[in-house]
Amino acid sequence: MSSLQARDVTKSFGGLTALSSVSLELRPGEVHGLIGPNGSGKTTLLNLFSGYYRPDAGTVVLDAEDLSGAPVQRRASVGVARTFQKPRLLGTLSVLENAMLGGWRHVDSGFVGTALSSPKVRAEERELRERAQELLHGVGLGPVLARRANLLEHAEQRFLEIARGLAAQPRFMLLDEPAGGLTGAEIGHLGAIIQVMRDCGIGVLLVEHHTDFVFRTCDCVTTLDLGRVIKRGTPQEVRADPEVIRVYLGA
Amino acid sequence: MHMKRAVPVVVGAALITLPWWARDMYQLHLAQLIGAYWVLIAGLNLVVGFSGQLSVGHVGLLAIGAYAFAIITGTQGLHPAVGVACAGGIGALCGLLLGLPSLRLPGFYFAMATLAFALIVSEIILAQGALTGGGVGLPVPGFPAPFDTPQGTYWLILIVGGLITWLTWNVARFMWGRGLIAIRDSVVTAEAVGIPVFRAKLTVFVFSGLTAGVAGALFGSIQSYVTPDTFIFELGLFFFVCIVIGGRGSIVGPFIGTAVLTALPELVAPLAKLGNFFYGLLLLVVVLVVPEGIGRLIEVLLERIRPRKIGSTAIEPDLERLAAAIRRGRA
Repeated sequence: MSSLQARDVTKSFGGLTALSSVSLELRPGEVHGLIGPNGSGKTTLLNLFSGYYRPDAGTVVLDAEDLSGAPVQRRASVGVARTFQKPRLLGTLSVLENAMLGGWRHVDSGFVGTALSSPKVRAEERELRERAQELLHGVGLGPVLARRANLLEHAEQRFLEIARGLAAQPRFMLLDEPAGGLTGAEIGHLGAIIQVMRDCGIGVLLVEHHTDFVFRTCDCVTTLDLGRVIKRGTPQEVRADPEVIRVYLGA
Repeated sequence: MHMKRAVPVVVGAALITLPWWARDMYQLHLAQLIGAYWVLIAGLNLVVGFSGQLSVGHVGLLAIGAYAFAIITGTQGLHPAVGVACAGGIGALCGLLLGLPSLRLPGFYFAMATLAFALIVSEIILAQGALTGGGVGLPVPGFPAPFDTPQGTYWLILIVGGLITWLTWNVARFMWGRGLIAIRDSVVTAEAVGIPVFRAKLTVFVFSGLTAGVAGALFGSIQSYVTPDTFIFELGLFFFVCIVIGGRGSIVGPFIGTAVLTALPELVAPLAKLGNFFYGLLLLVVVLVVPEGIGRLIEVLLERIRPRKIGSTAIEPDLERLAAAIRRGRA
């Protein structure tokens, strides 16, 4: 069984230890929630998974491959996609083109082939365009395919980020506070989309402050505090844990 | 849709027949000059307008191409086709040597590195008098029949320019174009989707070196004589300004920019007196009024003519379609 794992990772910035010996395993077809107060190390852990940081100790492993020292780009090519807390879209491109950008790893054509518009380039382009269109219709952006991305509303930007991630056909998807700024109805749609990803066998890591949403959506929840795991379990177990209630959920 | 087909056909026909409707030899010469500049700018546009790397030193690569052509074809007496090919190859090689150390630098320092490169090329040309004629310069041969007349030379430049425009258009409209724009607007996004940022920047930079080298051969040939003063630094700035005024991420915009900025000061006498002041003023107006350039201005005007409905609709995911789309990719 393949899985994306952080094994005893430690990361400090200057004298501050952001994470100390944390492990987390993300399995295909599972939604794993990551919660905790501000400064507990959630974002640091996500950045270790996605390759923006290298662990001081411990490893990040996909199947048998050690990704700890590998560049960010390696994540995309082994099937780990992500979205950003603050959507990072290309404002001058259309919604469709933004989603197509996610499929970079499936395009083999080099610069020369592209410049000469070889049949292979055109075939890849057609295939990618179709896939991106289907994904965009799927997440509900069908009506705005041709719109410039800088004209999108907030929720549309978030959903476009997800479509771009899915265009890479990832095995694992890292979502960085995807519910931030969404309305109740939109959060409902987001939850449904995450369920579809899970049912299709994608492993989803959900870093989120919106705890109700996390408990409703996840199969397994990890709670961090001060760079350590204080509780891991099913949503029911975590929600009822006195330590989690004390440091994070409140009474 | 009619407009979209009609415009390129009309423009293409006008360009091909230009030698017959140009009023005098001077206008034909201007058209040749615009074409030679465009060969360079079309390649540079991928570097500046698409991947967002601010090179102001391509005049150095133009000079290298022109001198390579003059030496190979003139001094050595080889066939001009060999001269053009070598000018392009040497331009690409110099692009590689310049790009390798400098493309890792952040924007401002990269621009400084290209500036330094242009200055160094100019000094080397002066210093290597035995090869380049030093301050006196070198005569540059023309092209053989059927390209030996002014009309023929114009058509040769048109063919080369058309070919290079087609190549850059392909790069822009497929995945590479999106990748380069990602590098320009959000490196973090580019890395996250797996784009090898440095390699992509280097690739288009080498390509721009190739087009600059070829442009140098054409440019030298229509000038018929080159000296180090032909390749003043302002010329490098001029190429850069054509792209900024034309608009980043566009091909039509920088082409219009090149044509207008080359022709206007020559055709309208009062503007010629203003010289660099005219370029400066135009740049200021564009940056302040239409910072996205002429290309975007055209897009906006087209949208005015045929407004798209921008309705706000609530997002309604189609979950079955989403599942099918995800599964289809995995099958």
